Amino acid sequence: MKARIIDSVDVLKIVDLLRAQGREVIAPFRGRGNDTYFDTVTSENRDDVQIHFANPSYPPKRFVLPHIEQMMKFHRSDGKIDMEPTYEHPPRAIFGIRSCDVAGISHLDRFYLDREFRDIYYEKRRQNLFLVNVVCTDPARDIGENCFCMCADTGPAAREHFDLQLMDLGMGQFMAVAGTTAGQTLFNEPIFRKGTPAHVERRREILGEARKRFKTTTSWFPATVRYVSQDKILDSTWEEIGKRCMECGGCTYVCPACTCFTVSDRQTGPDEAERVRIWDSCALAGFTRMAGGFNPRRAVHDRRNRRFFRKLAHYFIQRELSMACVGCGRCVSVCHGDIGMPSVVEMLRRATAERALPSAAEKASPSVAEVDKNEPVRQ
Amino acid sequence: MNPSGSDNIYLPRTAILERVVDDIPEVKTFYWRFEDPAAQSQFKRFRPGQFAQVSLFGIGEFPASLPPSPTESETFFTIRQVGSCTAALHQLHPGDKFAVRGPYGNGFPMEDYYGKNLVFVAGGIGMIPLRSCIVYAIAHRQQYQSIQIFYGAKTPRELMYLKNLDEWQNTAHVSCHTTVDRSDNGWAGHVGVVGSLFKRPDVRIPVDNTIAFVCGPPVMFRFVIRDLLEMGFKQSNIVSTLERYMKCGVGKCGHCCIGVAYICVDGPVFTYEQIKKLGEDI
Repeated sequence: MKARIIDSVDVLKIVDLLRAQGREVIAPFRGRGNDTYFDTVTSENRDDVQIHFANPSYPPKRFVLPHIEQMMKFHRSDGKIDMEPTYEHPPRAIFGIRSCDVAGISHLDRFYLDREFRDIYYEKRRQNLFLVNVVCTDPARDIGENCFCMCADTGPAAREHFDLQLMDLGMGQFMAVAGTTAGQTLFNEPIFRKGTPAHVERRREILGEARKRFKTTTSWFPATVRYVSQDKILDSTWEEIGKRCMECGGCTYVCPACTCFTVSDRQTGPDEAERVRIWDSCALAGFTRMAGGFNPRRAVHDRRNRRFFRKLAHYFIQRELSMACVGCGRCVSVCHGDIGMPSVVEMLRRATAERALPSAAEKASPSVAEVDKNEPVRQ
Repeated sequence: MNPSGSDNIYLPRTAILERVVDDIPEVKTFYWRFEDPAAQSQFKRFRPGQFAQVSLFGIGEFPASLPPSPTESETFFTIRQVGSCTAALHQLHPGDKFAVRGPYGNGFPMEDYYGKNLVFVAGGIGMIPLRSCIVYAIAHRQQYQSIQIFYGAKTPRELMYLKNLDEWQNTAHVSCHTTVDRSDNGWAGHVGVVGSLFKRPDVRIPVDNTIAFVCGPPVMFRFVIRDLLEMGFKQSNIVSTLERYMKCGVGKCGHCCIGVAYICVDGPVFTYEQIKKLGEDI
């Protein structure tokens, strides 16, 4: 990968270059409070684009998988029915996407494109998308209370899947790393110049420092993935997690790696209809309900169980070659029941580990052995 | 890869309804063909146990089992009216258009069962997916040992595919037993749950080298599985097909994902050994 140096004052010129390529550029902006959000860059708001910011709650996933997306139109005339697939995939760039969200899009790539069936709607959008990753280096402004990309191994600096990566070296300079030839082409512009070994050393130092500045949120995946995959989680633990779920679906809505959608037809005129797909959530009661009312997934803990099982089971990680959790911490921020991923991982890990390793006193007690027998592992 | 040959896995193809046959209350069989003959011949390569997505324009799409065997010339669905899409399909008349995509799913590995005894146990509309396997097995009868069919419905009026049942009862080396939970006037046959047929003196079910196909409502499924396991069937020799809410049929929408499987691409056909590991109600 090639790297270059760019002055801080020139960084937003990358946005200008991408806009000059005819791309719609999406970038982070600051709201009226502490909120941040992704929006389209225009000539008016260009100077308000943020470099150091708290990652927006609403992930940039919608630029590859819109919240509501038209898939096809139906038109009926003279007994004939026309079906026309509809695609909307303007050339786009996301400037300032965080490493966790880059990993999220990479996971979606694997899910929608690397399997037996390729999703053409996703593919067309993704092919036209240019990603400018900005590394989280500022502990005060970039790294949130709930960030745990270190545990998901996705940050603070993405290793791949971006076109261009920017990192603030301080002292008025950024290091730019090209991840693709499209990214490297930008280096022909005069705003970029060659770096020195001292710059590379500085990058290493800053990354080392940023890693130490992560807050207290941790998510100990390896042990939990092992317990989930080996079917060692007790029903009672899933139930405990389920009791804390208020079925709002917020976690799935803000997750950069959730993939589920529903499909719905809507009449758009007397002889016209459209088919749209809409984000869906496995936390909602109707998710598995079939026509006629039978719902194989009845209890709320079955649904909670579903989302975390889907993300933590080794089988699925192997299938997509990446975990459907990127450590962005958004589920932690939105969950009213404190069952974001790190809490769940901890609850599962602790309950299972304690059961697997009873203390010597408990071992001697016959009543504990009895309890064990009465609580069969989930089959 | 996409069976319908298009680069858009969600795009169905127009189908024309040819005729509708009333089966039992609320259930009709819809004979159809694709408008495009090339699509028809492509579709006809389906395997027993696969399914298709049926589109009603402006209403929606639903998954449906394929009751025909690929050895038959016609394509049809047998559909119970239960939700808005199936209700819309029930309103259609011959000549009307809808759309179909597929076939999807793994299907039953009928070739792997060559040389084995086949036992089919169907309850209610569970006969719809099993019909495909039964017709296929009878068409390849020289490849299999004995073929036994056990079919139970709530009442005689709810026994489906009567013409087929009659035909199977009169096919050499095939035995076909029917039963009803409650008899009506004029029913001279067996009364009782489908499992009670296994205990009839004229019934001998071989356990070794036998594959048991079980399909029916959850309660029937549980009892039949128990009976088969008591007879000595291995869990891996009991096969079934699962039903789930599905939106895409191609492993993307997530609705049918249970345990470690997406029913639409990893199933819908599973052995009982696999079903047990999925960890959800059937």
